[in-house]
Amino acid sequence: MDRLTTADMVRVIGIMTEVIIANEVPFCELDAAAGDGDFGMSLAKGFKELKKARAELPTEDIGAYLKAGGMIITEHCGGASGPIWGSAFRAAGKYAEGKAELDASGLAALLQAAIEGIQKRGGARLGDKTLLDALIPAAVALKSDAETGKPLLQAMESSAKAAVLGAEKTKAMVASKGRASYVGERSLSYPDAGAMAIGIIFTEIARRVGTP
Amino acid sequence: MKKIINAPENLVAEMCEGMLMAHPDKLALNAKYRILTRKSPRKDKVSLISGGGSGHEPAHAGLVGVGMLDAAVCGDVFASPSTIQVYNAIKETKSDKGTLLIIKNYSGDCMNFDAAAEMAEDDDIQVARVYVNDDVAVKDSLYTVGRRGVAGTVFVHKLAGAAAEEGQSLERVKAVAEKAIANVRSIGFALTSCTVPAKGSPTFALAEDEIEFGVGIHGEPGIVRQKNASADDLALRMMELALPDLPFKSGDSVAVMINGFGATPLQELYVLNRSVALLLEKAGLRTHRTFVGNYMTSIDMAGASVSLLRLDDELKRLLDAPAETAAFRV
Repeated sequence: MDRLTTADMVRVIGIMTEVIIANEVPFCELDAAAGDGDFGMSLAKGFKELKKARAELPTEDIGAYLKAGGMIITEHCGGASGPIWGSAFRAAGKYAEGKAELDASGLAALLQAAIEGIQKRGGARLGDKTLLDALIPAAVALKSDAETGKPLLQAMESSAKAAVLGAEKTKAMVASKGRASYVGERSLSYPDAGAMAIGIIFTEIARRVGTP
Repeated sequence: MKKIINAPENLVAEMCEGMLMAHPDKLALNAKYRILTRKSPRKDKVSLISGGGSGHEPAHAGLVGVGMLDAAVCGDVFASPSTIQVYNAIKETKSDKGTLLIIKNYSGDCMNFDAAAEMAEDDDIQVARVYVNDDVAVKDSLYTVGRRGVAGTVFVHKLAGAAAEEGQSLERVKAVAEKAIANVRSIGFALTSCTVPAKGSPTFALAEDEIEFGVGIHGEPGIVRQKNASADDLALRMMELALPDLPFKSGDSVAVMINGFGATPLQELYVLNRSVALLLEKAGLRTHRTFVGNYMTSIDMAGASVSLLRLDDELKRLLDAPAETAAFRV
């Protein structure tokens, strides 16, 4: 498999959805240490709606699917996650407008577009102890693997590993954005829930995307 | 977890319905987007919208009515309402004089209310925004995003609400809100944690003799965990943080709010009020009005916050103006 088709992306989002719904309570618990314990629930709520609407979402190209998914998330995900994940989906959708398939470098660019969408809405940067601390290393790894011609599935695996590592590193960061930032130094030694979630989701996607 | 509840996932919807049924003379409900609005809206004044996560009742739906809010948007417990919920509230309460969003300073609230305002502006609805950040607890942090919006928000609703009810322009109502925000300071403490229904267990753990000083309203850990102290000592500690922060000076007129977080009995709130009132007197402050009760709770957290609002003649007049909401009456 050297590229993801629209059908593959639909499956990828499906895997993401499953992981988020299955981890509703664990993700809340990750958030309770330095946040307010709602991350898992807020995210799961939006993705449950996405799951319900799955069959009706447009599939003429990857962009249309992601944009429509983004609208559902924006409507049903509240908290800080809604605008962040909604912006990510919509920005990724805009990048993928008219595209019926993505190779490794296309996927890297998609991830980068998502990151920029998130930054536009939330204003965070690498090191602020947010989900970007997993997403940015993942995007960097994917881009460099694409440039060296690594096969797609392997590149996705490495990208997931970079996300997990990035999430681990958030333990040593003091939060400065999001709900956890009101806790300051007391958030030290707890990882960021959003970053951890990205690591878990990307790992599962990389594991399963190759086998339909 | 022992609560009066049906299925946790229906909690907010059922709470909204219950509020509507209790106050049918004051409220209307958009069930799809969980927006409580005035029963009899006025199109000829600035529309005031606030909201946020549920779990702070009576805030904010209990503050909808003549002299205060036009709409309250209800998110899931402790989670900001979505962009689309807020956008629909703006559309529904569109008036001839524009809309003011009163936003508590939390990332989720700011992002969702900001995005909704942008969408409404695309629809040519005039929307202004103010951000409430009255909590003095978290400050001097190396990476501060800003202070949290807590019970002082209720004062902002009241003052902006009175200005809007008088028919003032969006610019003037926004200026009043900003003046209120600039002049209000709050600080609180928790004796217990709160329990979010979806989670089913307390958000944080406190030992039998411990309190969380500087606690926020979502069960966020506060500035420091310490041993419980007497009401007088707690009040002193709080005033030592709050008074110099503005600073409040001898001769200033103030309004005081002793706000319960949900599980603290009224008798204790009155004891705390006495401790605070004596300190304010000592500091030469003149208390114009006092409000004691549950205004901005944290579900079932035991504890309280104190909010002090410095008043000038304009703010006194607006504070004293009539208000008819479910939870706040003057």
